Amino acid sequence: MTRGDRTTYAAGNVTDGDDLVALAGRAAASVADESELHEAASLVPDELLRPHSVAIDPRGVPVERKVALLRLADQAARAIDPRVVQVTATYAESVQDVGVANSEGLSRRDTRVRLGVAVHVVARQDGVLESGFETIRGTRGFEMLGDDAVREVAETAARRAVRSAGAAPAPAGTYTVVLSSEAGGTLIHESVGHGLEADLNLKGLSVYAGRIGEKVASELITVVDDGRDPGQRGTAAMDDEGTPTQRTVLIDKGILRTYLSDRKHAAKLGIARSGNARRESFRHPPICRMTNTMIERGETDPEEILRSVKDGVFVKKMGGGQVDVVSGTFAFEITECYRIRDGKLAEPLRGATLVGQGPTLMSEIDMVGWDLGYSTGTCGKDGQGAPVADAQPTLRIPSVVVGGKLA
Amino acid sequence: MTRRLSSDEVVDRALSSLRAAGIRDGEVFLREALSGSVDTKDGAIDSVLSRGERGVGVGVLDGQRAGFAHTSDLTASGIDACVDQARRMATVTEPDQDLRIATEPLDAPELDIYAAGLEERPLAERGVLALEVERAARAFDARIGRFRRTTYSDAEVTTTLATTHGVRAAYRETSVGVMTSPVASQDGERQIGYHGEGARRPSDLDARQVGARAARRAVEKLGARPFPTRKLPVVLDPWMSMSLLGAIAPLFSADNVLKGRSLFADRIGERVASERITIVDDARRRGGLRSAPFDGEGIATAPRTLVERGVLRGYLTNTKTARRLGTASGANARRASYASPSRIGPSNLYVEAGVDEPDAMVRRLDRALAVTSLLNLHTIDPVSGEFSLGATGIYLEKGAPVHPVQGITIAGNLTHLLSSVIGVGTDLVFGPSGVGSPTLVVAELSIGGT
Repeated sequence: MTRGDRTTYAAGNVTDGDDLVALAGRAAASVADESELHEAASLVPDELLRPHSVAIDPRGVPVERKVALLRLADQAARAIDPRVVQVTATYAESVQDVGVANSEGLSRRDTRVRLGVAVHVVARQDGVLESGFETIRGTRGFEMLGDDAVREVAETAARRAVRSAGAAPAPAGTYTVVLSSEAGGTLIHESVGHGLEADLNLKGLSVYAGRIGEKVASELITVVDDGRDPGQRGTAAMDDEGTPTQRTVLIDKGILRTYLSDRKHAAKLGIARSGNARRESFRHPPICRMTNTMIERGETDPEEILRSVKDGVFVKKMGGGQVDVVSGTFAFEITECYRIRDGKLAEPLRGATLVGQGPTLMSEIDMVGWDLGYSTGTCGKDGQGAPVADAQPTLRIPSVVVGGKLA
Repeated sequence: MTRRLSSDEVVDRALSSLRAAGIRDGEVFLREALSGSVDTKDGAIDSVLSRGERGVGVGVLDGQRAGFAHTSDLTASGIDACVDQARRMATVTEPDQDLRIATEPLDAPELDIYAAGLEERPLAERGVLALEVERAARAFDARIGRFRRTTYSDAEVTTTLATTHGVRAAYRETSVGVMTSPVASQDGERQIGYHGEGARRPSDLDARQVGARAARRAVEKLGARPFPTRKLPVVLDPWMSMSLLGAIAPLFSADNVLKGRSLFADRIGERVASERITIVDDARRRGGLRSAPFDGEGIATAPRTLVERGVLRGYLTNTKTARRLGTASGANARRASYASPSRIGPSNLYVEAGVDEPDAMVRRLDRALAVTSLLNLHTIDPVSGEFSLGATGIYLEKGAPVHPVQGITIAGNLTHLLSSVIGVGTDLVFGPSGVGSPTLVVAELSIGGT
């Protein structure tokens, strides 16, 4: 319910009539004058084109088959190396039937089938314990989880754990960093994406507020959010207010074009709705957030990017991250990285973090590869989790703070 | 529509359904919650959110195989279907000889965790506390202008647990919280602060104090500079210490210990921390935000000392891990909701207050970094204990602030951090997640910067 700028939201899992009435009453008690209530338009249902297909509905797959996949992952990870001491494999599926109706007459439905396998491996060497983690997740059917795909996830996680357990601690300091396309897109998600959410910009809080049309990144950088990227973890036919999802160019060759919006903030900022109103579940009001966010491919050979660095750090895989949108400062975890010496990969390092300021970093990136790699995650904002994917090509950052230990 | 079953009737129905299915070892967990939150913006209420939930989780043991299912369809047929689903899940899990369903009767301690009548007042009226917090933050310093978010939230929850072995108990609890993130501006620079507190009743929350503390968090960052890479002693005030203590908690989990993924495995009786450090988990702390008479498996709670003057004394256990370790359950099985089985976790976990007056402790340090915010706490790997976090801080000389610092990392290992504590303050404070800590001074951490 909205009245002026104020939103009142009620949610419950109750199916009983008495409980529903009580819940509605508790919510209504905080809305003022009922003379302001208006008649709702009659609902006009329409069908949206779905950007995702499901060949095998996971609900029809016997649980034994899912358990067998986990056993396979467990065996595959343990077979990699005797230093593997523990394996946790998780299968998760969710089928979300979403219906949105509003008093303007909109009535739309969407079904989102999301599933995935995550493997967490612990390796021990000389008293050092390290973890390796890998996932395969998407908005797709069970056909996504073939034996080979699951085995590869488990083996990657195991290799990562073993390599880290034998690695030297990352050094602390400022370095030239090459981010592999395989590293995933945590960088774009944290350093730029959150700062482009319309709610933060309306409040004037983001470092990007009021800067549409201005140069906010190197001309090598084009940033896109695409809620229709087929099969990706953040994909859906519509957002959680019923607005169709779309491919939105946020930064075009360095120029800021628009923000990620929901209905309320698109109207207030005078920008087009981008279909980025998302909620964790019926329990939560919609908020502006990312779907599948990426830096588009560039024109440079990734090998050449690596060769160009005399002494630096090569990031093979990123983990989670966080940003302070007001100052633009971000930090993200690195779960697999190597020292670069004379343009080649040298020894593995562990326990590293990258810290920087979003707009500064985006202006400084000086090489962009022609490759593209995805990663998946669950993004947290205002206490709500949302499935997302991020992607980027291989990138070179001339100078950035790497957090690690001093000898 | 059929008649609404009361929560007691739901539990009765689930128990009889378990018996009818021939299940000797079964457990029923019901939670009923009313909750609300209010967000403010520019001195007025911006959004009001009201929630009501009720659901049941059913656990069974069939031939020592565990099965679990949950439902919010609390009709007789919905409950029966849930019991059937739990029974079917028990056919695909591995048998485990150490699983047990609770059999011991429960006591009813007075924990002071319930305030009557909280959910009866209109939400918009309860939420006025958020407006008071915003006003207090503005009043603290003229450089405070906007807010990222200010939220008041509260909940009233009833938890009931019953087993087929005759254990049956329930408790009610209320909680209220308020948090804010004000933004301070000066000469084109903007910095955000964050502070939140929680309590069991609204009268125990001090809106002025929360607003002022949050405002200080923003203002103290203004004028921040980059900082050279170096090692320095680090000062963690109670609020910063709490966030790291929360990350240490998984090291105590007996589940992690038994699976070989805790650095505290096989170290009972050994020194794992500075002798100034005593860590307690007390689920019966009066008014504690994580206090409860029994845990998620129906075992009576009790206070436990995990680290005593630096020596590891125990782990956090549930029934299964305690049996494997040959001890009694420490009642550390926690249920996030009716919809998930219990997992081992701390209740009110805290570092005991020390003997050092915080200011005097900091004045004794020639040079130090006082941490004012940490980024990426969720990425700390409890398995390796390694952490490398984004941070802001204040560079101190003999306790006096020299200038604020940003764009740095602090790195170390959680076990090393515990071992290198050289000062523990007298100022123990409990935060909104039940974790408590005094000010801690760490001898040295690696700081990454320019």
